[in-house]
Amino acid sequence: MNRYFFYLFLFVALMNIMLFVPHILVDNRFEGSVAAILISPIFGSIMIYMFTNAMARFPGQGLPEIFAQFFPRWFVSVYMFFYAMMYWFSSTVVAMAFAVLINRFFNPHANVLIIMVVMVLASGYAATRSTLTVMLLLEIIIIINVPIILFIMFKMVTSPQLNLDSIHVVANYIGHWPNLASIAAATYIFTGYINLSLFNRLFPPNFRFKLLWTYPILGLLILLVTFFVPIGFHGTQGISQYIYLWTITADSLMMQYGFIERVMFLFLIVFLNLSLVYTATAWHQAMEFIKGCMPSMKPETDSPKAPITNYVIIGLFTAASVLYMVFTNEKMNLAITTVWLILRMFTEVMTVVTVFILSRRRLVPR
Amino acid sequence: MRKILCRIRSLVLVLLLVVPLGGCGFKDIDKRFFVVGTGLDLSGNKEKPYRITIQLAIPSPKIEPGTSKFQFETIDAVSIAEGLRMLKAYVDKELDFGHCRIFLIGESLARQNITPVLDWMKRRRDIQMVAMMAIGKPDAASVLKIKPISEQYPGNALLLSFGADGTESSYNYAESLSGFSRRLTERGFDPALAIVKGDKKLGYIINEIALMDKQRIKLILSPDESQMFNQLASRFTKASMHGIFRHQKMVVAINQLHSRFRIENRDDQDVIKVNMRMKTVVEESAASLFDKDLKPIESELEKSYEAEANKLLVKIQKANVDPLGFGLRYLAMHSGDQNWERWQQLYPEASFQVNVRLIIEGTGLIR
Repeated sequence: MNRYFFYLFLFVALMNIMLFVPHILVDNRFEGSVAAILISPIFGSIMIYMFTNAMARFPGQGLPEIFAQFFPRWFVSVYMFFYAMMYWFSSTVVAMAFAVLINRFFNPHANVLIIMVVMVLASGYAATRSTLTVMLLLEIIIIINVPIILFIMFKMVTSPQLNLDSIHVVANYIGHWPNLASIAAATYIFTGYINLSLFNRLFPPNFRFKLLWTYPILGLLILLVTFFVPIGFHGTQGISQYIYLWTITADSLMMQYGFIERVMFLFLIVFLNLSLVYTATAWHQAMEFIKGCMPSMKPETDSPKAPITNYVIIGLFTAASVLYMVFTNEKMNLAITTVWLILRMFTEVMTVVTVFILSRRRLVPR
Repeated sequence: MRKILCRIRSLVLVLLLVVPLGGCGFKDIDKRFFVVGTGLDLSGNKEKPYRITIQLAIPSPKIEPGTSKFQFETIDAVSIAEGLRMLKAYVDKELDFGHCRIFLIGESLARQNITPVLDWMKRRRDIQMVAMMAIGKPDAASVLKIKPISEQYPGNALLLSFGADGTESSYNYAESLSGFSRRLTERGFDPALAIVKGDKKLGYIINEIALMDKQRIKLILSPDESQMFNQLASRFTKASMHGIFRHQKMVVAINQLHSRFRIENRDDQDVIKVNMRMKTVVEESAASLFDKDLKPIESELEKSYEAEANKLLVKIQKANVDPLGFGLRYLAMHSGDQNWERWQQLYPEASFQVNVRLIIEGTGLIR
């Protein structure tokens, strides 16, 4: 079962590219991004240790059930609703960013709204499945796509175009104190563990998390590649002129004897897969949290048939995502995502600390 | 319960039907004109300064030398984007830049200002960042219009000269769009482009390199200098043969080469140290060498190489360009503010010190 926790972590760490994390870090590259990158693994490992430790004391329970034991009903409902909105928002940002990418690079003549509708319908359907199904879906996607991502990363890191001097120049700015946005962006890499707040329902009693020390190291590696590889390719100054950092970086590579010469298309397909499943898992969790608001709902992880509530909630999510797309544009999306990343960091700290205290104090359940 | 599920399912199906209403976004491959080469020149006309030449591939069922067919379209325009829109009125199929791997910039344009050209290229989504950039001499259009008799399919001959699949010339300097645009913005790392000339309308000659500052050509290197520049820049990812070195009555072929540099400050005098190691084989020699002690010959070659490299480095320094990235290295090695200003004062006064370790591995097949 440990591998499932690993997937949850790895998955979110890889998705940082779609959530503008490299973009925000590169914007602040002379104002503390490097320091933020070095601080975030410390923050991340403390959070991971606290949360896994706390959740291990509530085997088979998700956040809604744990909170329901200790807090009044109205508080749980409000909190869960807020939590669900945070999840819904992150996946909507990803879906929208990807719809725009498809529109830009694959099919510029198509209406971007239609692409978005198709994407959210597909991931919405996946989200209505049971928790176990979503977890297994995640495993399949990770196993298929991660080797390709590793291949692309290997090609990038070993490319002669990667200029180490440019990377060194930016790394010299280590002494600058980071601002909130860059800290929030950097810590996002380590945020995958928070998915345990729902998927903990699947973990059996006496389950032990193993090899937790590898997570911060892996996260730091991904973060370094995310931040420094585009800088090595496009230079310390040139990097700021691109909007789609990683797509352009993938386009700067060539697979001479591959089926497709442009690495960009391979990259986009892989991240399309990841984005769809990210949207599906995040919506599934948001859906379960909303169900946690309703007192009548019993948590179920492997129901043979999807209850009607699932369809209703996901239908609302889908409609809201399309509406979000109609009312925002790329620029607003970036600004809102920056705010979301900061808000996410504080929500996360709050949740982790609360659950940790609850697990220690052993309050008499209500 | 069942009924509602059924209804939702049918609703989803109906919604899915909306999807194809947008129509087919793709055009078939036979309704497209693939641009395989683009040339950008100055027209000399003040009102329409840019002259755009595109080379359009005409698909042919035969792939054998000399069967490549293409069509040219040329237009003068106020801006490149406008010119291309106008060109669409000249052709019957949709123009597609997705397969354009060669962008030639006319010499006159490169001597003026290439910033707007680069801006257009980077903005276009279908232009590959791996496309090759070069300078056409005397202008891009005349180079593009050359029809090499050996060419197998349109645009292939020029591409082969730049890639690692075809010829591996030590005079050629291949630069991609992404590499070029990086150098255009990076402080202390200036761009350089190969110069392509026509050879009697039948082939190409690529043996000169133009060194540029952030806007225009500053210095053009002769073929010999170009080869040495390539060796100094250590851009040998593509060739196993690193060119030759000639000294008096002897020519050696360089088989292996490593070049790295360091910036040192000794007694308030800044020295750029370039260390090179090369393994060579004798290709031409007037005298028999096999029985002789090779050490003195090696050191003689080293000295003469050092002198020539120094001359080239000083020439590049005098032109006030920095295509080898000395400035970037300086910024990387010194953290702190105002380094860039300090480097700009320091570079024109810095002296060079080239250390070459040349090893003769053999005398070829004869003594």
